[in-house]
Amino acid sequence: VSVRVQLPPLLRHVMGGERWLEADGSSVAAVLTDLGRRHPPLALHFFDEQGQVRHNIVCIHDGTLVRAREAAVHQLRAGDELVLTNALAGG
Amino acid sequence: MGVAVVVGTAKGAAVLKSEDRKNWNEEFVLRGWPVTASARDEGRAYAAVNSPNFGVALFASDDDLTTWNQLDAAPRYRPEARGNPEHHRLVAKMDFEGKLKGGGRFVDQIWTLHPAHGALYAGVSEAGLFVTRDRGESWQPIDGFNEQPGRESWQPGFGGLGLHTILTDAKNPNRMWVGISAAGFFRTDDGGKTWSRKDDNVHSFGGNCVHHVAHDPENASVLFRQEHFGVYRSDDGGDSWRVMEDGLPVAEMSDGHRCSFGFPMIHDRKAGASFVVPLDGDNFRFPRGGQLAVYRSTDGRSWHPLTNGLPSNCFAGVLRGSMAGDQQGGIYFGTTAGTIYASRDLGESWQEIASDLPRIMSVEAYVT
Repeated sequence: VSVRVQLPPLLRHVMGGERWLEADGSSVAAVLTDLGRRHPPLALHFFDEQGQVRHNIVCIHDGTLVRAREAAVHQLRAGDELVLTNALAGG
Repeated sequence: MGVAVVVGTAKGAAVLKSEDRKNWNEEFVLRGWPVTASARDEGRAYAAVNSPNFGVALFASDDDLTTWNQLDAAPRYRPEARGNPEHHRLVAKMDFEGKLKGGGRFVDQIWTLHPAHGALYAGVSEAGLFVTRDRGESWQPIDGFNEQPGRESWQPGFGGLGLHTILTDAKNPNRMWVGISAAGFFRTDDGGKTWSRKDDNVHSFGGNCVHHVAHDPENASVLFRQEHFGVYRSDDGGDSWRVMEDGLPVAEMSDGHRCSFGFPMIHDRKAGASFVVPLDGDNFRFPRGGQLAVYRSTDGRSWHPLTNGLPSNCFAGVLRGSMAGDQQGGIYFGTTAGTIYASRDLGESWQEIASDLPRIMSVEAYVT
């Protein structure tokens, strides 16, 4: 399914300032894989050496927080929007 | 003569440019990214970034250091590589979901970039050595180093197992040295296939915590070493070392040993001069009494303090990668408090050229 993904500010620099990207995939992990295929520099940021979604990446989907460990099973619908970000850290 | 200084900080890179090395223009690029190392080779500048959230990557600039584009590739271990348990223990605080429990090995920082012999080498943590021969488009692990027996028992330094120093011999491409905190100093004489430790006579405490080593690549076997436990010199490529601390301040270290503590060691090959920034031992890690001082050796035996223009109320440190020379008499260094100092005369006088930067992690200087 086709979805839109909002990049976090740090990764917009990688994409020349683009805020939103189009991607295909029925799960969060599938969408990240497709984004990495379309835009290879992003793949380094989404997946570690063992092919796992980086543990501190989270998505907001329909007001729900989707953590990296849920990325492969969290299902998406055509036209959905994902806000890609990272887990909060610090005080 | 123009000079550009690339200052890697915890939140981006300051690019300082000057035509006369008196008046400087500053631009802050790669905003938000911790910039841990930089280098320039054959007209391309590289900046290594790491993020606890988004991993390690490399940016390249092919212009006047204004435009930076991320490269598609970066050093990465193979999925089957196994990690060092003590390094895992040290970096586990960022492993929120337990990926390290699988025992894998990950590149969590690029500590140094070193161009030589038509290649660019990267030293990383978890400690390892990688090389690119196509301007960063692809990276290959140097297995002779990365997979050598015994790495599983290497003792990490406080910041983990970081390969932070790479030295090469301009006359012998098969000879190379690398330094790892706190696994020690290693040399290969066969182009990276086999390596041996070069830490004889260097004081250790549960591992050789080499902080930085410098030399003239044209006279490569004369090495100057800032160790956690003192300053040393070798005249035989590291086969043997002797203390070289005449004139340096010494302090009592955690284990009672008295020596000169600091992080950076650089060498200006044109002037034949070496530079260190002593700190008041490993308990305090700031300049003694607050007097920031660079020490220079021009005879390879003794050191002399250089403080003209440096503050007397500095309680910041200077990290190992945060000092560089332009080989034209220019010396530059940055503090953990975000100030950059520059000298045009091999340290005789200093000028503050930038301040209020984030924590400074790396400094490189290029003649433009």
